[in-house]
Amino acid sequence: MSQLYLIVQVNPDKMANTSSTRFFPFIGHWQRITLGLFLLVFVCWFFADTEVIALEPWAELGRMFTGFITPDFGATEYLLDAVWQTISFALLGICLGLLLGLPLALAYQHPLIAAICAFIRAIHEIFWALIFLQVFGLSPLTGILAIGLPYAATFARVFADILQQAPSQTLFTLPKGTDKLSALIYGRWMHMYPQIVAYIRYRFECALRSSAVLGFIGMPTLGFYLESAFRQGHYQQGGALLILFIVLIGTIRFWAKPLMLWVYLPLAVYFLPELPVFQPQLIWRFVSIDILPPMLQGQTLTTWFAVDTFIAVFDWAYELVRDQVWPGIVATLVLACCALGLTHVLTLIMLPLNTTLMMPKPVIILMRGINLILRSLPEYLLAFVFMLLLGPSMLPAIIALALHNSGLMVFLMARQSDDIIVPLTYRPRLDHYSYMVLPVIYPHFMGLLFYRFEVIIRETAILGMLGVMTLGFYVDSNFAEIRFSGALLLLMFTAGLNVLVDYTARKLLQAPRDKLQAC
Amino acid sequence: MKFTGMILAGVLSLFSTVAVSETFTFTAIPDEDESQLRTRFDKVAVYLSEQLGVEVKYIPVKSYSAAVTAFRNNQVQLAWFGGLSGVQARRLVPGSEAIAQGFEDQFFKSYIIAHHSTELAATDSFPVLNDYTFTFGSKDSTSGRLMPQYFIESNVGQSVDKIFKRIGFSGDHSRTISQVEAGVYQVGAVNYKVWDTAVEKGDVDTSKVNVIWQSPTYPDYQWTVHSGVDKTFGAGFKEKLTKTLIGMKDKDLLDSFPRESFVPASNSDYEPIERVAKAIGMLD
Repeated sequence: MSQLYLIVQVNPDKMANTSSTRFFPFIGHWQRITLGLFLLVFVCWFFADTEVIALEPWAELGRMFTGFITPDFGATEYLLDAVWQTISFALLGICLGLLLGLPLALAYQHPLIAAICAFIRAIHEIFWALIFLQVFGLSPLTGILAIGLPYAATFARVFADILQQAPSQTLFTLPKGTDKLSALIYGRWMHMYPQIVAYIRYRFECALRSSAVLGFIGMPTLGFYLESAFRQGHYQQGGALLILFIVLIGTIRFWAKPLMLWVYLPLAVYFLPELPVFQPQLIWRFVSIDILPPMLQGQTLTTWFAVDTFIAVFDWAYELVRDQVWPGIVATLVLACCALGLTHVLTLIMLPLNTTLMMPKPVIILMRGINLILRSLPEYLLAFVFMLLLGPSMLPAIIALALHNSGLMVFLMARQSDDIIVPLTYRPRLDHYSYMVLPVIYPHFMGLLFYRFEVIIRETAILGMLGVMTLGFYVDSNFAEIRFSGALLLLMFTAGLNVLVDYTARKLLQAPRDKLQAC
Repeated sequence: MKFTGMILAGVLSLFSTVAVSETFTFTAIPDEDESQLRTRFDKVAVYLSEQLGVEVKYIPVKSYSAAVTAFRNNQVQLAWFGGLSGVQARRLVPGSEAIAQGFEDQFFKSYIIAHHSTELAATDSFPVLNDYTFTFGSKDSTSGRLMPQYFIESNVGQSVDKIFKRIGFSGDHSRTISQVEAGVYQVGAVNYKVWDTAVEKGDVDTSKVNVIWQSPTYPDYQWTVHSGVDKTFGAGFKEKLTKTLIGMKDKDLLDSFPRESFVPASNSDYEPIERVAKAIGMLD
């Protein structure tokens, strides 16, 4: 009776907010989200294919190990060229991304712009490249656009987020008659300049990885040779290329000084591989034939609306959704959720090992090296090694994604935890760390984790190419069978899924903003 | 603002078109060992250029589908295709022709290999493979996927996803071998030449993995030429090209493919491949 009385008293609005907290008031907001995440991962793990198959991997792993300790730097033809093109594609891609992304950031409040950007971001660089390949052929333009376009969409979102944090008072103190552009630059951007530059620098590292990955489908970057070498078991060559790549990423701050970029940029344009003749009819062919379902190709517009054509198109789409989209989405989500959970746990374990609040300097330096390797190693390579060890289930992909992403998370989080001001009573002990440091960084940690979820979903695409039957696997199959309409339909669903995940993650994280920031 | 202008100019210059020269361009992906592609095939380009009297260029590509796209976009006029990719390319470019094939490609075959733990022994009749795990090579490979899938399905009378407990696509013949050797998959399908070379070189432990069945023969790799070459490079160019390819005797050049020699071929030689691709649903 008393319960009923209570419910009647509370107005419905408030009830929605408080009903959940009433039963477990001792569980805080972030604990709730974390437990929710664990529950989700637990359910997904139950459905995931995690069978371990007993194997004899040692012969192959031995060959791999020998390759790494005796790398052969002479085995790759045009090696310096490949290194240079890796940098140059990344640089030009970032430039294009900035050119498009900066104006987009100003209009990001508009829901349509935000949706378009989320859509563009959702498609992996490799698939952008495969699309542009149809239109521009094997041209540097394909690679630069494939990096530039999704990066522009990411810049738009992140810059919009950063700009939101800029104090608006400066705008009112500017002299009368200041033009809008100056007001924007001096009144808002300059407040956030350090964050913006830091973010661009971080994205440049990402662009180098993307640039290398585009080599997998034929751009003349390091990935071109790296993929062939590992696929065909030339581990001495592969080891050398990988070492080179890791060194390239690890030394960015020495060779990519802002001033030097003005030297690199014109050189990058000048030394670009030769552009094939641009054929406008290819674009027309792509939009008027390739992207249409097979039964509409070559048909006149009037026949499209005939009933049997309509039924044929419907059947085609239905079959694709039933046989490829649906199983693809399920596998992608299951894989991504499991990887997300493991990333969460691994990052929490590695974070204390990476902060000066817990560890002495030598350990930190060692961990920095490990992080560098974890985040530079292409996931597909990690997945292949784990596949030899654990068999062809989803497990190798889960571990590979989690290792790579927790490497990145720790890299991004470690600096923040170093800057935390701790009380004088603080000692580098796990209990002190857990009570004084972790709660402060946890909201940011979760924000980053949810952003990584979007990235993980996108990255399952690459593992799809390795045979885990995610959406990426089916997209890749459609491209291999020259069925572009099918590939595009799948990409639409992939993008839609990502937009949905992005939206949900934002909703989840927005909630505490007006309530409590720390846990 | 100056810098922005500079970047803009730089990016815009990307869109400018480069003058067209009458360069004859080709591409090739060998079925084994993709290392040093440019170095090896630039030599082939030099040979073709000497014989044909036109400028010849080689473009390296990464996959059969990339080769098909380059061919379709007329970025390459000649390509060394696998059986399936050749059929795909000729369907997309009407009038294009298969003009030569490797000597071995007249009677190509696939092997089915098995891990020793399966205790499958080599047989002439088709082995019972139900409920094993199985890996193909690359998805669009003729000898690593198309033909094996066809032979398996026609012998068992069921689709492969019903026969096997788990199906994978290793992406490459060498990888198929190493995965079956490691027991990641119990059974796999592989290009016979890649297997024979690996055994010869001692790259594979035959006590762990061995051939249990070999397929009937089928036509595979071939040179396919674009329809418009006679118009661009002068009448009789296609014929001259065919002769030049078949006349390639230098072992160093032939090793890049790797083939013993080249022999004449025609589109109709590849009708069986097209039929098979349609039968298993890889072509409409």
